[in-house]
Amino acid sequence: MIPIAISMLRHDGPKFMALVLAVALAAFLTQNQASILSAFLGMTGSQIRDVREANLWVMEPDTECFDQAKPLKQTAVQTIRGFSGVEWAVPVVKVDTNARTEAGKLSTVTLLGVPEDSRVGEPRMKLGDASAIYRRDGAVIDPGGFSLLFPGQTFKSGMKVRIHDEWLTLHGISDAAPPFTGFPVMHVSQTTAMRLNRAEARATTFVVGRMLPNADQQAITASIRRETGWKAMTRTEFENASYDYYAAQGVPNLFYITIAIGFVVGIAFTGQTFLMFVKENARAFTTLKVLGVTHGQLGRMMAAQAGLVVFMGLGIGTALAVGVTEAAKLMPFLRALYIPWEVALACGGVIAAVTFLAAGFAFNKVLKLQPADVFRS
Amino acid sequence: MNAETTTNAVHCSAIRKSFGSGETRTEVLRGIDFTASQGEMTFLVGPSGCGKTTLISIIAGLLTADEGHVSLFGEDLSALSPREQILFRRRNLGFVFQQYNLLPSLTAAENAAVPLLAAGMNRKTAVARASEMLDQLGLGHRVSAMPRVLSGGQQQRVALARALVHDPRLIVCDEPTAALDHKSGESVMNLLATSAVHPDRAVLVVTHDNRVFHFAHQIAHMDDGVITHVDQQALNSRLQSSPS
Repeated sequence: MIPIAISMLRHDGPKFMALVLAVALAAFLTQNQASILSAFLGMTGSQIRDVREANLWVMEPDTECFDQAKPLKQTAVQTIRGFSGVEWAVPVVKVDTNARTEAGKLSTVTLLGVPEDSRVGEPRMKLGDASAIYRRDGAVIDPGGFSLLFPGQTFKSGMKVRIHDEWLTLHGISDAAPPFTGFPVMHVSQTTAMRLNRAEARATTFVVGRMLPNADQQAITASIRRETGWKAMTRTEFENASYDYYAAQGVPNLFYITIAIGFVVGIAFTGQTFLMFVKENARAFTTLKVLGVTHGQLGRMMAAQAGLVVFMGLGIGTALAVGVTEAAKLMPFLRALYIPWEVALACGGVIAAVTFLAAGFAFNKVLKLQPADVFRS
Repeated sequence: MNAETTTNAVHCSAIRKSFGSGETRTEVLRGIDFTASQGEMTFLVGPSGCGKTTLISIIAGLLTADEGHVSLFGEDLSALSPREQILFRRRNLGFVFQQYNLLPSLTAAENAAVPLLAAGMNRKTAVARASEMLDQLGLGHRVSAMPRVLSGGQQQRVALARALVHDPRLIVCDEPTAALDHKSGESVMNLLATSAVHPDRAVLVVTHDNRVFHFAHQIAHMDDGVITHVDQQALNSRLQSSPS
């Protein structure tokens, strides 16, 4: 009976298309918005993950996330090095300041100072050589930052950016992960960063370190917190804290609303269309009941119809979402965009459930069709 | 067909059925006693609204009588569960409707194969058997045609094939010629008489088309919810005109 069910649905072309497009639209909306939200919130930990060597982050106690860090005394580095279980510790200087190009393009930028001696946090490069940042005026910039400050231009080593009254020379394009703020990320030496940090010239922003293998990380961070009053976290904890900080700001609610709209569209449209399909095919369903098709068989027929709609709708919607994501990734600031398989699976699962639920409502109408009505002309 | 050798296929006694309640309650069947025999074509005739359709709905197990008793081939339908009734109907009944009720998305052969597919038969075998049945009914050249390209008479022949393909013991026809011109109606009734009437099968036809009354072995006349009289003349005249 399954092929009969499929042919019945396909024969009703407008409704078949409406159902497939409704599911496709819902799949596209939910996957697209969920993946953008997921990618954006993932960016909240970009610079934390980029310091690959460190698994310990220490900061001023009021700091809530990476982008909102308060200055910390330089002597903090020595203090952290003195804790048992800490293999090494170095300062990471982060400076948010304004930069201007020779063409007059202005933007807030995030300067990250890499210690000359340990080189902890040195960026991977897409173009050029990272060691150039240890020159007095050397810097590298991330791809999104370059396209923002130099729109439409091709990178050439020697391009200049002015910060305060100093001209920094760009020697390469780094592979730094895109930041949540969208500001250009420039890596410079620690010395340069501290020099350009006019407000807090003698301070660092974070102390990052590595805890010994097999050490009790929770015990170490707890003892640092207890004895210094600073905030100490593992890398994962700091990533989560930054994620939670932005997640609590309300911006994700906009995405949640769109995702909810996607699901509501899915429920409302597919439900309504399935009901219309049953209504307009009531004579056929009634005839099948009279000819001895059982409720179980009718249920499997409607499940098959819903399955076909889910298969096609999800396929089209997912393909559309992937296409839009791939197109968006061509923009440097959105290069981290992707559809996590968990998002695709969850959205697909919910949409499939919604479609089968809608088919279930329609099936309930089929059950209520009176076989004796078959004799009504 | 000799009356002495016939066996009751349908037996109804004291059937009552009403719809609505209170002041809107309408009694449609008011104590029907009725019998249809195997090997015969029995007509139920009468004016619109006299209760013919309600009676065949009860006989086919599509409606439940308020009072009375219905048995098909000795089986008390009211004693069966809803699912058992569906399975009984699937095995033992075939239907021909006024408006054909073919599924527009299926070919003629697929439409005729529906009872076999519902019974779980392999699709290829079911369609092949349905095609053979269509061939017997003169539609062998139209097995792949969709209903929309078939004439009314051809669609009713597909419906007849669907009613016969699973070799049921009772065929219920509701106004099978009402949507057809006289020639097509005569042709369909001829097929019904030659293909459907069988010693192990009863054919029950609801009609008000008096041009086809001569096909009946028995005619039960209904009016206002009761059977007023049963006419055996049609059967007798056929028997008398039979060469044997």
